[in-house]
Amino acid sequence: MLKREVTIPGGALESEPTGWDERVAHFLLTRSPLGQIVRWVAAIRVSVHAKLLASFLLVTLLFIGLGIMSLQSITKILSQGQLLDEVHERVHWSQDIQHALALQMNFTAMALLLREESTVEKILRENNRFSNTLARLEKAAQPEEVQLIQRIRAAQGGALNTVADIANLVRDGKVDDAMRLQLNTEYPLYLQIEALVNQLVERERQKMDRLRASVAAENKNTVVLMASSAAALILLALLLGFVTSWSFILPVRQAHGFLSQVAKGNFAATIDVPNRDEFGALADRMNHMSQELQRLYESQRRGAQELQRLNEQLQHASEAKSNFLANMSHELRTPMNAILGFVEMLIDDIYGEVPPHLKEPLTDIQTNGKHLLRLINDVLDLSKIEAGRMELMLAEYSVQDVVETVRSSLQSLALEKGLELIAASQDDIPLAFGDGKRITQCLMNLVGNALKFSKAGRVALSVERQGDNLLCRVSDTGIGIPKEELENIFTEFQQLDTAITREYSGTGLGLNITKKFVEMHGGRIWVESELGKGSTFFFSIPLRVRMEAPHER
Amino acid sequence: MSGKTVLYVEDNEFNLKMVRQLLAKTSYELIEATDGEMGVATALKELPDLILMDIQLPKLSGLEATRRLRADPKTAAVPIVVITSFALSGDDQKAKDAGATAYMAKPYSPRELLQTIRKLLPEQ
Repeated sequence: MLKREVTIPGGALESEPTGWDERVAHFLLTRSPLGQIVRWVAAIRVSVHAKLLASFLLVTLLFIGLGIMSLQSITKILSQGQLLDEVHERVHWSQDIQHALALQMNFTAMALLLREESTVEKILRENNRFSNTLARLEKAAQPEEVQLIQRIRAAQGGALNTVADIANLVRDGKVDDAMRLQLNTEYPLYLQIEALVNQLVERERQKMDRLRASVAAENKNTVVLMASSAAALILLALLLGFVTSWSFILPVRQAHGFLSQVAKGNFAATIDVPNRDEFGALADRMNHMSQELQRLYESQRRGAQELQRLNEQLQHASEAKSNFLANMSHELRTPMNAILGFVEMLIDDIYGEVPPHLKEPLTDIQTNGKHLLRLINDVLDLSKIEAGRMELMLAEYSVQDVVETVRSSLQSLALEKGLELIAASQDDIPLAFGDGKRITQCLMNLVGNALKFSKAGRVALSVERQGDNLLCRVSDTGIGIPKEELENIFTEFQQLDTAITREYSGTGLGLNITKKFVEMHGGRIWVESELGKGSTFFFSIPLRVRMEAPHER
Repeated sequence: MSGKTVLYVEDNEFNLKMVRQLLAKTSYELIEATDGEMGVATALKELPDLILMDIQLPKLSGLEATRRLRADPKTAAVPIVVITSFALSGDDQKAKDAGATAYMAKPYSPRELLQTIRKLLPEQ
C-alpha cells in the first residue's frame, strides 16, 4: 500500500497552477523534498483531527520555547545593567577618593598658611571620607586592585602620620619645620598616593568601559539570536502549515479530478492517494463507487448492444417479410390471372360456343376464382398495413366517380340477390384530395358486406359533405349486429360467428382494412345497428387530406 | 393477313398462351418476348403497332423497358399498355411516369384487355 510514486499523482496540480500562490505551491511540491514530506505526512495512519492537533501543538510548543528564551535574555540584560551600575558606582567612588585626597592636600596647605588647628580637623574629616570610600571599594575588589588599595592605604597611613607631625609642629609654632616636613615628606607622599589613586581610577574606568563594551556586544548578540530564532520559528510554522494543509488539499484535488472524470462518463477512472486517514478511506469508497459504476455501465452497454443486434435482426426479418410479400403478391396473382382469364374466355365463347350445361359450372369457377382473388388481395393488403409499408397515393379524386364505380361494380350482385341498391352523392361536392382507390375499396367493402348480409330489402350508399369532412353512409336491411359485438366488429379476423361466416363467406378482413384506410386518411369509422332490422356503417374523412396525415394504423 | 402487330412482353407461359388465343380470333398479329431485354430488342427490330408490357419481368423490369422504348425515337410514339401487378399500391403512377399510354391491373379480364387494345389500336 505504501509504495507510492514520487510524482504528484493524478495530475492534481499540473492542470491548474494559475495564481502566483498556486505556482509557488506547485514548485515546492514538485521540486523540493516538501512533496515527499507531504506524502509522508499523508501516509501517517492517524486521523485528520489528530494530525491537525499535533501540528498546532508543535507550533504552540515552539512559540513557548521562544518565549522562555526571550525571558532569559531579558533577565541577563537586566543583571548586566546592574553590574554596569555597580562598576559605574565604583568609578564614582574612586573619583571621590581622588577628590578627598585633593581636599586633604588643600587643607594641609591651608593649615600651614593659616596656622589654624581647625583646618587639621577638616583634613581628618576628608581622610575619613577617603578611608571609608577606599574600604567600600575594597569590598568586591579584584586581587590586583586589593593590592593597589592596600598600597594606597599604607601610603595614606604614612601621610596621616606626617599630617599629625605637621599639626604638632604648627601648634608648637615651628611653622618652618612644618613647612619643610610638608614640602619634603608629605607632598611627595601625596603625589605618590595621587598617582596610585589615579591608577585606581583609571583601572575602574577601564573596567567600566570593558564591561560596557561587552554588555553592548552581548545585547547585540541576544537581539540577533532572538530575531533569527523568531524567523526560524515562523518559517517552521509556515512549513508545518504547508505540509499539513497540502496533505489534505492534494487528496481533495484528486477527488475533484476523479469526480469530473466520472461525471464525463469515464467510469474506469481510479483515484490513488497516499493518505491513510479519512481522505484515504474516502478515496477507497470512491474507487468502489467507480468500479460499481463501471460494472453497471458495462452491463448496460452489453444490454444496449444486444438490443441493437436484436433490432437489426428484426429489421432484417421485417425486410425479408416485405420482400416476401411483394413476391407473393406477384406469384399469387400471376396464376390467378391465367385461371380467371381462361375461364372468362371460355364463357365468352373464344374457344367456340360452350354447351349450355357447362355454362353454370364455368360461372361457378369464375365466381369462386374472383372470391379467392379478393381474399388474396385482402390478406396482402392487411400484411402490408401491418408491416407499415402501406402508403396512400394522394391525388385529387371525384367523389361522384367513386360512388358510381361502387354502384356499377356491385349492381349485378344486388340484382342477383334481388336487392335494391341505391347510391347517391351530393352534386356540389368539390374534388376531394386523398387516395381515391382506397376510398373506393372501403366503400366496396361496406356495400359488398351490406349486400352479403341482406336477404331482402335495400342497400343504400350516400356521401355528403359536412364542412371540411366527407360523411359516407352505408345502410342495409340485413341481419344486424348484436350490441355486444359492435365493439369487436372492426377487429381483424372477427366475424359474428362461424356459422354466419360459413353462410355468407368472407375473411372478416374487409372491415378491418376499411378501418385502417379510414384512419390513414385521418378519419374515423363507426356503426349503428339493430338486430334483425339492419345496420348502418358510417365513416368520416377529411375532404382534403393533409399531406402529413398519419399513414399508419 | 397484313394485320396490325401487337408485342406482348410476359414471362409467364400461360398468360402468353391466353393472349395468343385471345388474339387468334382477331386480325391482330402477336409477337412475343419473355424478358425485358428481349422485349426492348424485339420492339426495336419489329416496330410493333402496340406493346403490352408486364411490369415484373426477368433481366429488365417492365418500367425500365418502357422508359428505354420511350427514349428511342423509333418506338417513342408506339402505345404501350403496362400491366401492373399491384394495381392498388402506386404502380399506376410509376407506369405513367415511365411513359405508359395506359395500364391494366393484373389479374386483368381478357375481355377488358381486348377492349383496351381496340380502343388504342382500331382493328382496321
